[in-house]
Amino acid sequence: MKRLIAALLAGMMIISACADTDDAEGPLVIYSGRGEELVQPLIDEFEIETGIDVDVRYGESTEMAATLIQEGDGTEADVFYAQDPASLGAVADMMTQLDSSVLDLVDARFADRDGRWVGTSGRIRTFIYHTDTPNELPQTIDDVIDPAWAGQLGVAPTNGSFLAFVSAMILERGEAGTLEWLQALAANDPQDFSGNSPIVDAADSGEIQAGLVNHYYLLRLRAEGEGENAENWFIPAGDVGSLVMPAGVGVLSGTDKPDAAQRFVEFLLSVSSQEYFANETFEFPLIDGVPAAEGLPALDEIAAPDIDLSQLADVLDDATRLVSEAGLI
Amino acid sequence: MTAGPLTTPVRPAAATRRTYRAGWGWWVAAAVVILPALVPPISLAWQVATRGIGPSIPFPRLLELFGGTLVLTLAVTVTALAIGTGTAWLTTRTNLPARRFWMIVAALPLVIPSYMAALSIIGATGRGGLAETLLGVRIPTPYGFVGAWLALSVFLAPMAHLIVGPGLRAIDPATEEAATGLGASGLRVFFTVTLPQLRPALVSAGLIVGLYTISDFGAVSLMRFDTFTRAIFTLYAGQIDRQPAAALSLLLMILALVILLLERRTRTRAGYQTSSTKRERRPIVMTARQQGGAHLFLGSYALLGLVMPVAVLTFWLTRGLGAGNEIGRLWDEIGRSVGVSVGAAVLAVIASFPVAMVTTWRRRRHLSAAVETTVWSIYSLPHITVGVAVIAFALQLARPLYQTLTLLLLVYVAMFMAQSASTIQDSLIRVSPDLEDASRGLGRNALQTLARVTAPLTRPGILAGAALVFLSVMKELPATLLLRPTGFETLAIRIWSSTAEGFYTRASAASLALLLVSIVPLLVTTHRDLSP
Repeated sequence: MKRLIAALLAGMMIISACADTDDAEGPLVIYSGRGEELVQPLIDEFEIETGIDVDVRYGESTEMAATLIQEGDGTEADVFYAQDPASLGAVADMMTQLDSSVLDLVDARFADRDGRWVGTSGRIRTFIYHTDTPNELPQTIDDVIDPAWAGQLGVAPTNGSFLAFVSAMILERGEAGTLEWLQALAANDPQDFSGNSPIVDAADSGEIQAGLVNHYYLLRLRAEGEGENAENWFIPAGDVGSLVMPAGVGVLSGTDKPDAAQRFVEFLLSVSSQEYFANETFEFPLIDGVPAAEGLPALDEIAAPDIDLSQLADVLDDATRLVSEAGLI
Repeated sequence: MTAGPLTTPVRPAAATRRTYRAGWGWWVAAAVVILPALVPPISLAWQVATRGIGPSIPFPRLLELFGGTLVLTLAVTVTALAIGTGTAWLTTRTNLPARRFWMIVAALPLVIPSYMAALSIIGATGRGGLAETLLGVRIPTPYGFVGAWLALSVFLAPMAHLIVGPGLRAIDPATEEAATGLGASGLRVFFTVTLPQLRPALVSAGLIVGLYTISDFGAVSLMRFDTFTRAIFTLYAGQIDRQPAAALSLLLMILALVILLLERRTRTRAGYQTSSTKRERRPIVMTARQQGGAHLFLGSYALLGLVMPVAVLTFWLTRGLGAGNEIGRLWDEIGRSVGVSVGAAVLAVIASFPVAMVTTWRRRRHLSAAVETTVWSIYSLPHITVGVAVIAFALQLARPLYQTLTLLLLVYVAMFMAQSASTIQDSLIRVSPDLEDASRGLGRNALQTLARVTAPLTRPGILAGAALVFLSVMKELPATLLLRPTGFETLAIRIWSSTAEGFYTRASAASLALLLVSIVPLLVTTHRDLSP
């Protein structure tokens, strides 16, 4: 019995040792909608460079946004780092205006209208195609639903980036026009995939002729020595076909560590972090003077649509509804 | 051998009642410890009732989810029952050499969590997978139905094995011998005599495997097959409005409770007459050829369910390390996983005592049945739904507990208390109340009696229960995913997130660590579950 009690006590001590993570000051709490494998090396670097302790809660971007909204003012989060402008926009009301010293680093197109979040790296929607395709490449997003691609186009209708693209289309042409486009897409018998990577794989192998994805998946495939039979095509019409979706960061108004939070935002926009994005994740750097990865055009050569990214959040749930109304999911 | 709580979410029906009085103090304590179990269903029902279901899920989508869940459940149940009955029959009824060895081996895949099963399938196939590297053939990764079915069937078959085994042993050999004596062939005896008597065990095993399948989150998510659980997480993670996730969770909770009630009904109705004199059963003699076939079957199952996962994980780990990949801070995760598992095990054992005391008392059967049903109900709820429910509850009514380790431990204890309660019950019914009465008679009070007499005598049950809870918490994924304190990454979380992001070296390292840490408690439970 004594041994049992000793075991119990030891167990309790282990728990309390685990629970004892709160020191007097408390760490900077970041809610990250970006994956741990990508973000944690940056966090480690930040901790070493600044001596600031950081705790990160990882999840999907929308999940973290919904969590922040549910938690409201009582949230322990100081910083929200998200994959897409829609998630950032959804909690923009809870975020404080950023210092102009960081806002000035990035083109105003890739930041919140009111300066409550700022883009940190660019991800672009692209039309990936099998290099031997006999079809003509689309000049506008409406060419994508041309019968020539019937049964040949890969889409990932449940994927967050696809939904962001649909949200942007709602801003561009309204709900009715978007539903029409989605219905035409559905009528064209697209191939359903669960995510971007398998679409890129299938376009590379020739299983499908083309697909709608983000630009960096092909570069990741090539980094592994494949992907020679597929190519990214940036639709040149200046429509949502080449939508730029910046990942971005904002500081929560309720933070008790505004200085540490500000330093983290600065850190993401530093040359070393921007180079990390360019070369490790093949995203577009958003500050001047850091080039994109080899094989990518410069960001300003891409015909991005002229839409207000701050409004994406307002139509995100509508996008989900339209996609299912059109029968894609 | 009893089909212990490793497998069954329902206490064996043969509950003996003890006479030692469960005083009112025990009832109060039991009421307090089962209180948290009521939170998830009430919280969800309240949330849906007061706030509606949000932007509703289109009916065709709902139908599709229902269909997907149903088809997967049926397929997994049939496959797992077929494999499990086969392994159980071969290892309990025949003269197969090394059948004791096979009996244990066939139960072992149970320790591999479903998401690890999925990871091993993903790691074996596809670009750069084990198959391509070793054999030079790239097998496409079976995402979707096939992958989910494979992962769940192989790793739920041991559950059928552990339930059907005792069922087979309970069959009176006289009936089979009579059939054989009348000239029936071995196969005919199996199908016309053995199988019908086995029906209660098969139905029970089927319902339990089914319950696990509809609750599974890890395998269907990593294999990207849409069932209710995956859809709940997609809605939870992909929509700003949390009401649709709550509504779907409530629906799934109700489905799980219906299956649980069905299972309990079949249990109470089960029962065949056996001849009063127990006789030693003569094993069925197999020819050398049949033995070869049996070994082939058992061997391929072990290969698929045990050797392959470990081989795939080791392969990815060694290759990743060779290529200079870093494993990262795995020690932190091991510490957290072991810490919460030990903590939850200790607390669950303490909380189980009042439950076991009142449910083994012979008076007030209705009240103790209510306590027992509550404990088992939360055990059978899909963990993703518990997570969704508890988050909403904590935010609205228990804000100081939100995202704390305390809340996580409370949820673990509530979810897994059934396991420790059941092993402690088993031990408690063997403790003679006379000893406790004597202790009281000699002037010790109730607490002293508990500490000096009852608890030491129920030590086997305490240890087994603690080991079971430890294993369950170690493997638990969806509730941990939703409820963990910020930065509290456990081994299970590491496996999940690294697999989802395609970093298999890290996922494999964490998986192997999880398996290693599980070995000791596993030995405690298999010793108990498989001792003849």
